[in-house]
Amino acid sequence: MSRGFYFRLALQNMKKNKRTVWPYLCTCVCSVMMYYFMSFLTLNPGLAKMPSGHNVQSIMTMGTAVITIFSLIFLFYTNSFLMKRRKKELGLYNILGMEKRHIGRALFYETLVSGAVSLALGLFLGILGSKLVFLLLLKLLSFPVKLGFFVSVKSIVRAMALFGAIFLLSYLNNLRQIHMANPAELLRGGNVGEKEPKTRWLLVLVGLLCLGAGYWIAVTTESPMEAISYFFVAVVLVMAGTYCLFVAVSVAALKMLRRWKSFYYKTSHFTAVSGMIYRIKQNAVGLANICILSTGVLLMVSTTICLYVGREEIIAGRYPQEVNLTAYRADDESFQKIEEIEAQTLEEWGLTPINSMFCRSAQVAVLDTGDEMKILSGDDNPAKDMGKIAGVAFIPLKDYNACMGEDRKLKPGEALFFANQKKKDGRKELNIDGERWAVAEELDDFFLEKKVSSPQINGYYLVVDDMEAVVRIAKTSNIFEGICYQKSYNLSGDPTVFEEAERQLEESVNQALEGEAYVHVGGRELNRESFYRTYGGLFFLGIFLGALFLMATALIIYYKQLSEGYEDRRRFEIMQKVGMSKREVRRSISSQILMVFFLPLVTAMMHIGFAFPLMKRLLALLYLYNVRLFAVCTLATIGCFALVYGVIYALTARTYYRIVN
Amino acid sequence: MSILEVEHIQKVYATRFGGNQVQALTDVSFRVEQGEYVAIMGESGSGKTTLLNILAALDKPTRGQVILNGKSLSMIKEKELAAYRRKNLGFVFQDFNLLDTFNIQDNIFLPLVLAGESYETMKSKLHPIAQQLRIEEILHKFPYEASGGQKQRAAVARALISGPQLVLADEPTGALDSRAAGDLLTAFQEINEKGQTILMVTHSVMAASRASRILFIKDGQVFHQIYRGGKTDEELYGMISDTLRVLATGGDRYE
Repeated sequence: MSRGFYFRLALQNMKKNKRTVWPYLCTCVCSVMMYYFMSFLTLNPGLAKMPSGHNVQSIMTMGTAVITIFSLIFLFYTNSFLMKRRKKELGLYNILGMEKRHIGRALFYETLVSGAVSLALGLFLGILGSKLVFLLLLKLLSFPVKLGFFVSVKSIVRAMALFGAIFLLSYLNNLRQIHMANPAELLRGGNVGEKEPKTRWLLVLVGLLCLGAGYWIAVTTESPMEAISYFFVAVVLVMAGTYCLFVAVSVAALKMLRRWKSFYYKTSHFTAVSGMIYRIKQNAVGLANICILSTGVLLMVSTTICLYVGREEIIAGRYPQEVNLTAYRADDESFQKIEEIEAQTLEEWGLTPINSMFCRSAQVAVLDTGDEMKILSGDDNPAKDMGKIAGVAFIPLKDYNACMGEDRKLKPGEALFFANQKKKDGRKELNIDGERWAVAEELDDFFLEKKVSSPQINGYYLVVDDMEAVVRIAKTSNIFEGICYQKSYNLSGDPTVFEEAERQLEESVNQALEGEAYVHVGGRELNRESFYRTYGGLFFLGIFLGALFLMATALIIYYKQLSEGYEDRRRFEIMQKVGMSKREVRRSISSQILMVFFLPLVTAMMHIGFAFPLMKRLLALLYLYNVRLFAVCTLATIGCFALVYGVIYALTARTYYRIVN
Repeated sequence: MSILEVEHIQKVYATRFGGNQVQALTDVSFRVEQGEYVAIMGESGSGKTTLLNILAALDKPTRGQVILNGKSLSMIKEKELAAYRRKNLGFVFQDFNLLDTFNIQDNIFLPLVLAGESYETMKSKLHPIAQQLRIEEILHKFPYEASGGQKQRAAVARALISGPQLVLADEPTGALDSRAAGDLLTAFQEINEKGQTILMVTHSVMAASRASRILFIKDGQVFHQIYRGGKTDEELYGMISDTLRVLATGGDRYE
């Protein structure tokens, strides 16, 4: 037979199966396009040249990796799903006299055509759209917009290599499937006799335990430090729990409903419950996938949006005043040197400090057991008591009074006490390494820190009468050596020179005091740019990957609708024959379909609800303490997502009804 | 008393663009009395299935009318049709048409559940029928676990459970082996003896020979009918065979 024959056959097959082939091709094209976008941004020389562009590019590199892995898994999975549906068709060819190698050849051309079309169209759209995406990124990062057009040949080559490999793998897998099966099996294809799913109690138990444990971790983890280390444990547990939930728990629950006679034998429940058992069985893994992808999208988008929107707040939280200068291991002499340089620099730029605050402190890390705070030294390894670690700063009363403009008095052994958690600490006496301090007053506000609901680390401040005590405490811990000098102020003058002035201050101070003390100059203007780049980049990545995952979700839903439709057609006919009206059948089926497709969404929302406390603590690590903002971002994201999900559902449901009727 | 009156039914199918017209039924009239067991025979394409669909109110005749228990089917509103069918007609199909998502018992309950009956009522209605059809042991099995004969008896139970005026059977023995077919026909006979009216469409001489009357359809018309009138099954079998031979060789109409 001539070569052209197989090629024509392949094209014809694709045309005939357009209901399944088109969405697959679209997904391939989109994946190629998105891969090109990401790769293009990673390799864009224009971005690399911009200040802190490397930050952004390392975020994009991460994004490229995610897209690579995702495309590989997802396209491979989709292809094998399509192959399963086509078994009957291929079995027919086999019986009509085509050998397996002939079928293989037809499949080869099919893969070749889909691969070529996806790559050509995907790269074309990618190159065309890359400028737009680049401009969007620059806007998000508040970079100045640059004109010019750039085509990344390297990205094109990489995309071709990656997706070429994916298509080759899919082809090999298809061949394997054909060679494994005999014609009769191929003919029978999808509809092998249906057995009722068994209740797998072990999986039910494992699922409930995993889910419960994951939720428990998410809700009860108090310290943000612990939140980091437990986050992935919780994610894995909840993922495992989700699979078990869909595979086993749902079946068990439905069977229980079936045993409840007075509920089960009702017109509206009868067909729904028994139908759901089968539907769930066939779709459990797909639904769990949808659920996990949705949860991923929601988490990613809501947190990155929240960080992006709240970036000014983050900066304000991180830097209470315009300039924040901290010197460790310093003494009065070296601090004087710093102040001289400071005065000189500010004068050069025509700036004057206002609202200046200065205080000295001794800072120690402690293990807070409630009764006692044990001061830690550098040799201690408190990893397992992560949540009990706290920071304590001792501040002389003199500095406190000067900053606050008050004139308080304290007796020896007495202290003013401030804790940074939202709730009042309530301790009347503190025992720090055996030394007891009576709390004269627990303060509600403190000039160095604000109270927040979940601080990164519990911080306590003790204002004591005597500088001697501060010096003595400073010597007990070898983590923060010596007295810490803190000075902060706002600037008055031309705001456009703040950034340069701060940079110069940082450089000259560090130069002058090298080896003498460690000085950190934190300026809002100095750091604003890097915050903007990082959070803008993350936001972009969140939206981008969110879109990718959403596309995957849409495709899975579409294919589920299709296969549901083919399965239901027969059931639909029988029900009509035994005396259900068309309307009744339609209502019963649409309610089942609705349940099946909205179950993952509802479960995803539940996951998000339980993840909220944990995410809140993780955001606190990034200096975002505004829980309300996060709640609003999360709700808005869920709202938008539910809307898009609904639209996807409605569109795909039309295909379903077209098949069934 | 006639339970079913079929008056001058004609059914014409038009191809999609109104081109060729195909006449499936030309002019069919007959009556079925209460408690009768009627078999309708005819070759493929003789219009049997069309007739059955019209009797089942799944299809509408082009002309003529069907009167079930004094009520014309064409008078029933589209919305009430499903409920009417559920209540007054029982169906037995060649390929059983059991739902694989239900066990046998729930399959039988389906029409009653749709009618909104309570579980206790259904259970009490099921018991005598299940006993008569000898399916008590398989009530909790699923269709894929049951044999063809069992499945068909379950389908008969489903047709009977709502106490219909008329049971319509479409080639009920078509997918069964001869033993299962024999069992099923015996069951039909027993049911009929208890007063149930049955109308069966069939190809099988064996099946038809168990009925109390046989109608022959050819070219969309009732061509001939045979009454049992005290004959044995074997005698009836012979007469049906003869009639079919005449039909096949294109003999003219004779009474």
